[in-house]
Amino acid sequence: MSLIHIQNLSKHFKMLNRREGLGGAVRDLFSGDYRLVRAVDGISFDIDPGEIVGYIGPNGAGKSTTIKMMTGILQPTSGIIQVNGQPPYANRIRQAQVMGVVFGQRTQLWWDLPVIESFKILKEIYKVDQKTFDQHMGMFNDLVGLKTLYSQQVRTLSLGQRMLCDISASFLHNPQVVFLDEPTIGLDISVKAKIRSVVKELNQMRNTTIILTTHDLGDVEALCKRIIIIDKGKILFDGDIKKVTALFGALRTLKVQIENFSDTTLRDLHAKIDAHFGADHCVTIAEVEELWTDITIDQASTPLSDVLSFVMTQFPVFDVRIVEISMEQVVRKVYDGALA
Amino acid sequence: MRSYLALARGQYMAGIIYRFGFLFAILGNVVYMGVAYFLWKSIYRNSETLRGLTFDQAFLYIALGSAVFILLKTYTDWYMAYEIREGLITNQLVKPLDYQLYVLFGNLGAVLINMTGITLPTLILLFAVFRTPVTWGVGLLIFPFSLILAFLVSFCFDYFIGLMAFYTDSNWGLSMTKEIIITAFSGALIPLQFFPESLQKILLWLPFQAIYHTPLMMVTKPDLGLETFLRMLGVQALWVVVLFALTRLFYNQAIKVLRIGGG
Repeated sequence: MSLIHIQNLSKHFKMLNRREGLGGAVRDLFSGDYRLVRAVDGISFDIDPGEIVGYIGPNGAGKSTTIKMMTGILQPTSGIIQVNGQPPYANRIRQAQVMGVVFGQRTQLWWDLPVIESFKILKEIYKVDQKTFDQHMGMFNDLVGLKTLYSQQVRTLSLGQRMLCDISASFLHNPQVVFLDEPTIGLDISVKAKIRSVVKELNQMRNTTIILTTHDLGDVEALCKRIIIIDKGKILFDGDIKKVTALFGALRTLKVQIENFSDTTLRDLHAKIDAHFGADHCVTIAEVEELWTDITIDQASTPLSDVLSFVMTQFPVFDVRIVEISMEQVVRKVYDGALA
Repeated sequence: MRSYLALARGQYMAGIIYRFGFLFAILGNVVYMGVAYFLWKSIYRNSETLRGLTFDQAFLYIALGSAVFILLKTYTDWYMAYEIREGLITNQLVKPLDYQLYVLFGNLGAVLINMTGITLPTLILLFAVFRTPVTWGVGLLIFPFSLILAFLVSFCFDYFIGLMAFYTDSNWGLSMTKEIIITAFSGALIPLQFFPESLQKILLWLPFQAIYHTPLMMVTKPDLGLETFLRMLGVQALWVVVLFALTRLFYNQAIKVLRIGGG
């Protein structure tokens, strides 16, 4: 039986249409001019125990709204949602006992208290017995070295330390499912790697189901077998991550700044690349900002280094950047039918 | 229950970390009492008793009233509005906690901070400096229970105004209005005896008097007698039950309109 069952789930919000300026703000006081926002619009999926699912999409796609419905904070407008066979909003308090949540943008720890006090409060809230508590704390100390942070006030922790503590806290009561809402936001590469390995280890050790939302495709690649892509409240893709990475894993965007850029430069670049790499070269060019020209390259067929060195021999390039493909580009590609 | 006590304990610990604030709060309170002392002294210049209260009783009422005022000043409604507006409330809603009890016990922690940090030192100063006489009586024994009920009534008002933030997003005006209404109609600033007869009658039927008037009467008018005190305590308890039930019902409605954007 699936742990989470969602069928034709929708959440609509009524939002006041705000007018511009001071006069508008005053008139809004008496306004009844609402519009309907379909934050989540008829989604369906099932999640099995022990899965790690990447739930991704651009900003405002409806990810957080879905998570808030799964955790019982928001009531759905229509549709079926069941966690552990029960609707989460109907018995929020009992359901909360089997869930753990990390909101990456805010901490659930007590801001003014030393770290260990937050854990002690959570121990009481979730009714964790002393033996389990000690075991958990010992295990987390082995995984991330928490002990040195115990006496520090939460507000004095670095973002990375805080996130590790938050993740640790969300697993304290051994929940069946943990929601990680952007757990790596704003963190550097090494802390990201640490968090990924901790999450993976916990999932394997305890068979905890994990729902991960993130803007970092690296997180998804490292952790998830299954990925659900959502945009504008609708599911665009639900399936094996390999399908997605096969399409985008090798894509890189090469950004170059060319000196004395003019209208002819772009055409020139096109012509020269076409001539050099052949017609079927998987390189697309677009001028995005005034000075930066984006060249998207499929590394599987054309090595990025070849393109770079070729461009540099042909044009006076004075700055170069290489970026991985972004979530927005993935979603755009999916819209264009890349996964159909 | 242990989980809620842990919350109160945490709130208490977080509060006493910022200890310098207490000094100024005590200082401010003592200045206020000094002003009140001379104000009421001049009110009583030509008479022994006014409206059935002697000067000592009136001043004890005012001084004790300001001590209770500080005790109950937890800014709960402000903090709730902040949590709701900023979306921090999600942190509480994902926990296996009843929201009303969560706020109540956080509030209890804050009241205990006020008690140790401000109210007790102020009272000690009050009796040391102004040497206000207190008459022993049965009312003094009931006072602590009445104070607990007063705390619960006061909490319900804070909680109600806090919940309004679900609808209004910004609660500044409502909180200020609540503050003014309670201060005026509960007998926090002036004993209810000094209000016009007809207004007094109305006010005694309202829940506000349960916060200040009732517990303060037990200390300042010991001659009212046990029976009267118990009846007053009963009225307080009734208000607690009614207001708890009403705010609970209101929460069930308010939570439905919760809107939290990203993150």
